[in-house]
Amino acid sequence: MFEYFKEIWPTLWPTLAAIGVILAFVPFLGLYMTFVERKLAAFVQDRLGPNRVGPFGLFHAIADAIKLFLKEQTIPAHVYKLLYFIAPTFSLMTAMFALVVMPFGPVPTEYISGFRYIVAPGIDIGILMMIAISSLSAYGIILGGWASNNKYSLYGAIRSCAQFISYEIPLGLSIIGIIAAAGSLNIEQIVAAQGGPFWNWNMFWQPVGLLVFFTSALAETNRLPFDLPECEQELVGGFHTEYGGIKFVLFFLAEYTHVITVSFLTSLLFFGGWHFPGLTGPVDSSLGGMLLRTFVLVFKVAMVVSFIMLLRWALPRFRFDQLMGLAWKGLIPLGLVNLLCVAVVLTLDLPKHLLAFTAIFIFIGSLISARQLQFTINRPRSAGRPSMAHVTSEVTL
Amino acid sequence: MNSLITSMAMNPLAESLPGFSFMAQALSVPETTSVALPTDVATWNLWMLAPIVFGAIGYMLIQHGVVKSKAATGTGIVAILAAVVFAFGFIPSTLESWMLMNFCTVATAGGVSFLVAREPVYAALGFATAVLSTCGILFMQSALFVAAATMIVYAGATIIIFLFVLMFAQHTDLRTYDIQLTNPLLAAAIGAVLLTTITMCVTGEMAFASNQVDATRPYSQSSLPPELRSEKAEEFYQKTTPSARLVPSTTAGLGRALYTDYLIAVELAGTVLLVATIGALALAQRTTEEPA
Repeated sequence: MFEYFKEIWPTLWPTLAAIGVILAFVPFLGLYMTFVERKLAAFVQDRLGPNRVGPFGLFHAIADAIKLFLKEQTIPAHVYKLLYFIAPTFSLMTAMFALVVMPFGPVPTEYISGFRYIVAPGIDIGILMMIAISSLSAYGIILGGWASNNKYSLYGAIRSCAQFISYEIPLGLSIIGIIAAAGSLNIEQIVAAQGGPFWNWNMFWQPVGLLVFFTSALAETNRLPFDLPECEQELVGGFHTEYGGIKFVLFFLAEYTHVITVSFLTSLLFFGGWHFPGLTGPVDSSLGGMLLRTFVLVFKVAMVVSFIMLLRWALPRFRFDQLMGLAWKGLIPLGLVNLLCVAVVLTLDLPKHLLAFTAIFIFIGSLISARQLQFTINRPRSAGRPSMAHVTSEVTL
Repeated sequence: MNSLITSMAMNPLAESLPGFSFMAQALSVPETTSVALPTDVATWNLWMLAPIVFGAIGYMLIQHGVVKSKAATGTGIVAILAAVVFAFGFIPSTLESWMLMNFCTVATAGGVSFLVAREPVYAALGFATAVLSTCGILFMQSALFVAAATMIVYAGATIIIFLFVLMFAQHTDLRTYDIQLTNPLLAAAIGAVLLTTITMCVTGEMAFASNQVDATRPYSQSSLPPELRSEKAEEFYQKTTPSARLVPSTTAGLGRALYTDYLIAVELAGTVLLVATIGALALAQRTTEEPA
């Protein structure tokens, strides 16, 4: 047995090291994202934000973590014990498991031996695997809601379930375009296909794909403006009403892990990954090049994370029928039209930057929705929003 | 464990069934190209029946014992453990096979809990466990796309919708299900025959080699390495453009096969789905006008 392990060790240790990096950094990042979020919220609302513990309030996050870890473990008497404990762990597990195919640094497509910035390099179905695993993250929430044995929690869980299933469709549709152009489902290959001048980045010729992808991925993270599963006004708390202390933390660590995943995916699939003007071409294995590329990727990810956090204070929440309407009437048709355009361009071998003009769909769409919004707002309230009334009766659960 | 394997290999009973090679000759297609099976896979011998028989006996005893006596249940569990020990004798002890065994065990446990769980939600979760473990097995067989599709469609959507419905259902009125089957003997017999057939198909002389390719389907065959291509496939290979035949991965191979050799099947399946969608829309339409 020892001989056997000695034999497979050279291929085993890079994987174990990459797993170690993910396990070490994700909780840490989640912890400090709460801090960054509070600081950004303070910036938006013209406050100071956390500034008491440590320099610039940097130790607030650690103090929060200590508080949450040391909280008393309360278990309500009416819950289904087994699933009540499984739910938060499963939630975090799926969130972390989705990271196995995600490069967190430059990965050459020929997979040199030694440490690679990815747990499972060269997985044929990379992005599809990621979608498959994140489709399982609904289990954590739905089990948590049901195991709490509380009607409000269950409603939160049911909402999240409907939201997850609906937004998976535009999520899948939006990336088919870039998969077709790159000729691979593998994330490393997709990033490699974006090398060269910066206008080769997918965002410059797939603006509609980017919009649909980012919106539906944001919905999968359960964050504002899509945080219907948790809602103090309507559901007391949401699926996590009965959870406290470390179990609550696990749910929210899972949410922040999703934010990290979405930001990485957006940077890798649309913003050119580790490519930057002046730093293009295939990945060399020199340490400087690797570190610089990692820095570029992490910088892009940080930009996306900040954008997601600022969105929270920029957009109001959706009503549930608006949420469903956005997925089924807005994003899915937009994704289909985009897919059709990509197919036409690729089949006829036209220059792919012609697709940049598909951004005009976004323009038309936003014009129509703005007009509709104005129409709805200007109507006297006593008329009872006739355009939405039938939708509500169909969708409300 | 090693001595057990050796003793099995040496056993005079370990020989192929009479008439088996004849059948293999009659059924084999001369045009197919194939790669030899890896040598560490055990070939068919009668000892492979032992775990199946033990498993069947164990199942019968447990089925009998759950209702009537604890002693029978205990004996049944012992028999099933014996079946597991026997089965392990045939399995090479590499990391891969141990992971595979883990997945198989969890899948079986999920299936069993799906059948015996009293609460519908737990049954659905058992089903989800079985599906996910099967996905693991598919991953280990390099059927990555099928695994991911199963995960998305079954575990990610279908079972969640089941759960959705089950959780809304009242779970105060739990039925006490009768877990005694009407005819356990027949069930055990059918199970044993099925398992024997599968084992023979996988390990026997007629076993399908892992890389066997149907030579009548030249499009997908042209994506294979040159030593595995037939003449006709070579012809197709020469005709296609270099970018079109850059197919190093299983997923691309699957896509290529689906959209060349099996195009009509794919289109028909798409049509069936479209019809189903239209049917669902027709059913969802309100037939009666609501009072104003």
